[in-house]
Amino acid sequence: MAGFLEYVPGESLLHRMNPVAKLACALILSVACFCTGNLVFLLGVVVLDLALAASCSMTRQALGLARAVAAFSAVLALIALLTTPEGAVLAPLPWGYVGTGSVLAAVRIIVRLVACAVPLFLVMYVTQMNDLANALVKMAHVPYRYAFTFTSTVHFIPVFMNDMAGIMEAQTARGVEFDGSFAKRLRLMAPLCVPLLVSSVRKTNSAAIAAEVRGFNLRTAASGYKTYPMAARDWAALAACVLVLAAAIALSALGM
Amino acid sequence: MIEFRNVSASYDGELPVLRDVSLTIPDGDFVAFAGTNGAGKSTTMRLINGLLKPTSGEVLLDGVPTTALRTSEVARKVGFLFQNPDRQICQPTVREELLFGFTAVGEGGPDAEACVDAMIEAFGFDADAEPFLLNRGTRQLLALASIIVREPDVVVLDEPTTGLDYRECAKVMEAVGRLNAAGATVVMVCHDMEVVGDYARRVIAMTAGTVVDDGPTFKVLRRPETLRRAHLLPPQVTEVSMLLGADPALAGTAVARADTLDEMAAAVAALASEAARAAARERAALGACAPMGGE
Ligand SMILES: Nc1ncnc2c1ncn2[C@@H]1O[C@H](COP(=O)(O)OP(=O)(O)O)[C@@H](O)[C@H]1O
Ligand SMILES: [Mg+2]
Repeated sequence: MAGFLEYVPGESLLHRMNPVAKLACALILSVACFCTGNLVFLLGVVVLDLALAASCSMTRQALGLARAVAAFSAVLALIALLTTPEGAVLAPLPWGYVGTGSVLAAVRIIVRLVACAVPLFLVMYVTQMNDLANALVKMAHVPYRYAFTFTSTVHFIPVFMNDMAGIMEAQTARGVEFDGSFAKRLRLMAPLCVPLLVSSVRKTNSAAIAAEVRGFNLRTAASGYKTYPMAARDWAALAACVLVLAAAIALSALGM
Repeated sequence: MIEFRNVSASYDGELPVLRDVSLTIPDGDFVAFAGTNGAGKSTTMRLINGLLKPTSGEVLLDGVPTTALRTSEVARKVGFLFQNPDRQICQPTVREELLFGFTAVGEGGPDAEACVDAMIEAFGFDADAEPFLLNRGTRQLLALASIIVREPDVVVLDEPTTGLDYRECAKVMEAVGRLNAAGATVVMVCHDMEVVGDYARRVIAMTAGTVVDDGPTFKVLRRPETLRRAHLLPPQVTEVSMLLGADPALAGTAVARADTLDEMAAAVAALASEAARAAARERAALGACAPMGGE
């Protein structure tokens, strides 16, 4: 069973694209989302995201991610809603009012974060971390130690989540109830950070030692056997993303 | 009493991990689950304490299905030791860790403190030590102690001795044995058949989510079909006894039945004295014949 942010093998176009091109495309799309606040444009990017996810049979994961990001950004949206007194008055507040503009600002925050986050996460699902690291080292001349730090951090996310689930299970078996109010849950989960931290430090420490003894320091850009050539499809995808970015810049320049 | 009635279970709702398992564990029993990795032993343990609910069939604790119980209610009755003690230990000192079992279910108080102090005394713990700085065996012992300090009716142990050295293993198992002698039901998963042979009264062998054999420890560990299907090696004494017993010319029936070192020693001694007596009889017979041969 594949977990959160874990590579899902496949043969789709996105799977076969150059790792660095994929990452660059995702970054360009994300930047585009912050160049304009045009809601139609942002919704268009969300649709594009979902179409991309569907093209590599990752719709379920993408929807799950979108939901998680939306829930997370809901807090920010709420703040915006209460602190952006714009447009026609809908409800008065002691310090201002909630207006149509406030609602738009709140919706914009959620849609923007979903639109820019999904492609970045999608990259993780369709790219093997090793390939991404090696390609970054070879093509973008990123020093291997940074590429390694990045990929192992991402790699450890599901491991930590699995650890946390195991720790909560062990405490549940002792009779701790993790349901109830948010405050109560927080109070119950706080002491569990200790075992999580201990297991994390143990793991990272042994990973570091293992890397060290296998000659981590000797590794250079020339050490990788696999090469990562850019194919026509990679250039085409990059061009398409740049066009999207240009559209975003144009929209904001036109004040739309 | 723990009862499985035609239990099937799955983690993702599709792939069955346990298939149509039925078994009964009466109060006070000492049962070991054996089988290869992935056979579904840990899953069975999770079903017992309600962390996992069956997809079909029923798991009953004293007649009540686990689906009708909250996990915290089950936790009062069933103590559960996970394979990795570090997932369980979460308090800053040994004493607080032992107390946590009570406070987690809202039973803290002077009685609980008295139990904890008795446990610290019995296991020889350093009450103020930082649990994560203890060595692996002591952490395992602490995890076990913080489960059994509440004297649950049932203790479920998932591989309690894996990764321990011989002395640590003996310490853990002696504590478990005492608990069972005091009346608690013990259910454990164990890969070490020497430990199983020494402590368990009953063995349930599993393969690929099904029970392939269930019975008294040495009956199960002597069935070649079970050993083959569940990929088990019997304890060494039993294996030697089976090898010797397989050839009637090699050994007497006592050797073929021996499952403990004492039984084996007694059987071999009996065999030796039998051989000595036979030799003496032969010499006597030869001696009686000698004058006739001399004629
Ligand atoms: N949390 C889980 N999620 C999904 N599958 C699991 C999980 N835990 C175990 N499994 C699967 O269930 C099967 C039985 O596992 P388990 O009960 O742990 O076996 P055992 O303890 O006998 O080694 C294995 O195939 C394993 O991959
Ligand atoms: Mg297991």
